[in-house]
Amino acid sequence: MSSPARLRIAGGTVYDPTNGVDGVVRDVCIEDGRIVAELPRDAQRLDAGGMVVMPGGVDIHSHIAGPSVNHARRLSPEEHAADAMPAPRLEDGTLARSGTGGTVPTTFATGYRYAGLGYTTAMEAAVAPLGARHAHAELDDTPILDAGFFVLLGNDDYLLRQIAAGETARARDYAAWLLGVTRGYAIKIVNPGGVALWKGGGSDGTRNVTGLDDIVGSTSVTPRKILETLGAAANALALPHPVHVHCNNLGQPGNYATTLASMKALGGQRAHFTHLQFHSYGGERGKRWQSAAQDVIEYVNAHPETSVDVGQVMFGPATTVTADSPVEHLLATSTGGGRKWVNVDIELESGCGIVPYVYREKAAVAALQWAVGLELFLLAKDPWRVVLSTDHPNGGTFLSYPELIRLLMDRSYRDERLKAVNQKLLGGSALLDGLSREYTLQEIAIVTRAGPARLLGLTNKGHLGPGADADVTLYTSDADRAKMFATPRYVLKGGTVVVEEGQLRRAPAGQRLSVRPEYDTAVTKDLRRFFDQNATVSFANYGAEPVP
Amino acid sequence: MTERAIEHVTCLGCGCACDDIGVVVKRGRITQANNACALGAAWFGDGMVPAEIRVDGQAATLEKAIHKAATLLVRAKRPLVYIAGDVSCEAQREAVAIGDRLHAAVDSLAATAAAAVLAAQRRGRATATLGEIRRQADLVVFWAVDPSERYPRFTARYTGERRASRAVIGVDVGPSRGPRDSDHRVTIAPDDEVDALAIMRAIVAGRDLDATGRFEPAVELARRMMRARYAAIVADGEPSSAAADPDRAEALVALAQALNGPTRCALAALRAGGNRSGADAVLTWQTGFPFAVDFAGGTPGYRPARGARVLLAGGEIDAALVVGSPATLPEDVAEGLGGKSVAVVGPRASAATFGPGVAIDTGVAGIHEGGTAFRMDDVPLPLRASLPGPPAALNVVRTIRERLGARTHE
Repeated sequence: MSSPARLRIAGGTVYDPTNGVDGVVRDVCIEDGRIVAELPRDAQRLDAGGMVVMPGGVDIHSHIAGPSVNHARRLSPEEHAADAMPAPRLEDGTLARSGTGGTVPTTFATGYRYAGLGYTTAMEAAVAPLGARHAHAELDDTPILDAGFFVLLGNDDYLLRQIAAGETARARDYAAWLLGVTRGYAIKIVNPGGVALWKGGGSDGTRNVTGLDDIVGSTSVTPRKILETLGAAANALALPHPVHVHCNNLGQPGNYATTLASMKALGGQRAHFTHLQFHSYGGERGKRWQSAAQDVIEYVNAHPETSVDVGQVMFGPATTVTADSPVEHLLATSTGGGRKWVNVDIELESGCGIVPYVYREKAAVAALQWAVGLELFLLAKDPWRVVLSTDHPNGGTFLSYPELIRLLMDRSYRDERLKAVNQKLLGGSALLDGLSREYTLQEIAIVTRAGPARLLGLTNKGHLGPGADADVTLYTSDADRAKMFATPRYVLKGGTVVVEEGQLRRAPAGQRLSVRPEYDTAVTKDLRRFFDQNATVSFANYGAEPVP
Repeated sequence: MTERAIEHVTCLGCGCACDDIGVVVKRGRITQANNACALGAAWFGDGMVPAEIRVDGQAATLEKAIHKAATLLVRAKRPLVYIAGDVSCEAQREAVAIGDRLHAAVDSLAATAAAAVLAAQRRGRATATLGEIRRQADLVVFWAVDPSERYPRFTARYTGERRASRAVIGVDVGPSRGPRDSDHRVTIAPDDEVDALAIMRAIVAGRDLDATGRFEPAVELARRMMRARYAAIVADGEPSSAAADPDRAEALVALAQALNGPTRCALAALRAGGNRSGADAVLTWQTGFPFAVDFAGGTPGYRPARGARVLLAGGEIDAALVVGSPATLPEDVAEGLGGKSVAVVGPRASAATFGPGVAIDTGVAGIHEGGTAFRMDDVPLPLRASLPGPPAALNVVRTIRERLGARTHE
């Protein structure tokens, strides 16, 4: 169908949690790319009778663009060869772009495939400031999606120096400056202090932190201080999204204690803890693993200032890609090594580690990870603060979201799958004890749209009230929820029909989401001096702003 | 007399991409490139470039040349798009789009480092951006390369000034020698190189090899590297001989990775200039493959053993679009283009020696045009225009893409 300036999506069953609409048959009116309250009767209609209507999906945490993602792409040519995508022919007869998929798709394929799932907004979750210009270039080649990225802080030399010197205000000004010059959206913290130690050299035992009060270089710098400094900065700057935290000890047995300690360290203020599944393990380091999902989610349930995304593991191929480079070294060298492994130390800032990986349902740890993620979802009391993610492509690709939705909505299917997985480490797991909860469509609309939009501070996204961006997904209802969510009947982006029954119809450019907080510009004088002494990129060329 | 100074200019003379060049322009010419090395000074020159537009050797309008280039490409049975040097990532993105539209083969100067790229695809990488090597490394091993000739400022900018806490070891492999002023030297016979790397890796992995005789120096080097707090290996990613040994490239990666057990290690592969690393990055994000991409089947395919050189030599290609400076083309690619129906869009296109049917001179990225380029370690940098110039490569290539018509390959 065409995409007129005015369109009435008529008679669909609407799920719009932000506006309290839960499965009500009503019209959704669009004018000039925005939702409006009403349209004249003669406006073009899209008959949505029998269809489920939701806002476009919003991914709060995904790795889709930038230097680390491109290293990951380069690492797996065989995956690309196995999943080549011809250029789709658009409605106007022109050809869009070809690409390749696999766990780390090319930019164009990423845009088309997200849209094909009904997602219209995504946040790239980890970009080192040094790579910001690159990340923007990739996002320029990622159509349809409105997108932004989180800027890596928390292992960067300049910040750690400010913390060591007790210069909290300057640390805040620096964070604000950095978000502005990189055209980033939020502050991302990855394994605070741990990556800095890894880059500092030496042998095992001294190359990572193990808890919040380990010393990072200077005795006054600890993961706790880093979290506190940046958490406070994000709130003082009134950023739309608070600090987005990847805790210390990712993937380690017993790490739930660190996770809870990190949440408490930022207690009383807004903070988002990402891919919580990877941080919710009981047991002891180097010994047996078990689920500690209940302990972690109970804390989240009781603390309205805390939000999370799950980082569900889905069985099948994945690529683990993270700034948490010491973890990737561990993964690469565990179980005998022999895996492809990328490590890139990023000067003065961060790290990058990559290991392609397969989660097998017959593998005990993978099965535990799968179960822990589902427990977090099913024990969460407030879906507004527990967002659906697979930490694409770390726990699985975004293409597995429909399958994940089915696991959440369909208990009998979930129980059937549970029987097939390795149960060795599932003792004590609430999932094994039987969790009867089934997500409703309204709850799915919250965890995939309304919730992440609210947590990101995207007031025009994730809902269908007047003034919202007309990003709308229409599904044909199907008892098989995986099938239903895998192939929307229509996807509209800014009022334009971009996907129709699995076919890409249009591929407009997306908008860039970024912030530019105010700060005391005195910090730039000190930064310039720091750059002159330590950096290999000129201060004037740093970041991602256009140069004259 | 008007004089202008442009600061923080990025030089694409080699892969170092030094971004601290101060360009001075007097009377429309570059008179100084402060901080630039000899290679950089030559790359900037006086900034004067030809601004000719030629069709079949005759002067033509831009409009006619663009039309002719588009026609030549659309009519091709087996087109090639080749990304040469001195164009921005923005222009490279348009060039790949043309390849996609035409179902062409696409290759680039990034292929000159094929051995290192393929090794990284087989095994991964243990590397760092160059500033981190300068900051962390207490031991730098130059493996069969002396950067002073082809990467003159590499040592000063990226491995740091000499200091007591940093040792430099030069490994000499036949005629490929480490820096003259290394603190220590290790000599390895060319035929022993791959074995020596494998033995070193085994030592690092804790194997108690009884390697005596000619491998003793390599074993001692491995032990020395294990004692370092952060070791860097600097090797040439651009093989000086055509026979780039894939085993050697892979053995270097494997050694660097293994050293991250007992200590930390980063392997830096030196890559040449002209923004070839940008071509690698752009092709990877648009197609999933870093060079030698073939869209012939309507989807991107990876043909590392059948890149531009091989396709041209085999007579398979009937028409080509070269985006970039023809002077930067590898000799065998330039030779292979002779007699083909070729359009060249780039700096000094009109000086191409292989007689292209269409030649459109553009500005040089980083001298006459802005945009983005990548350093050899994949760090993106902005380019600055110091001078006005001929039409921008980005605009010309984009216009050609738009002229290809929407409905090819019905």
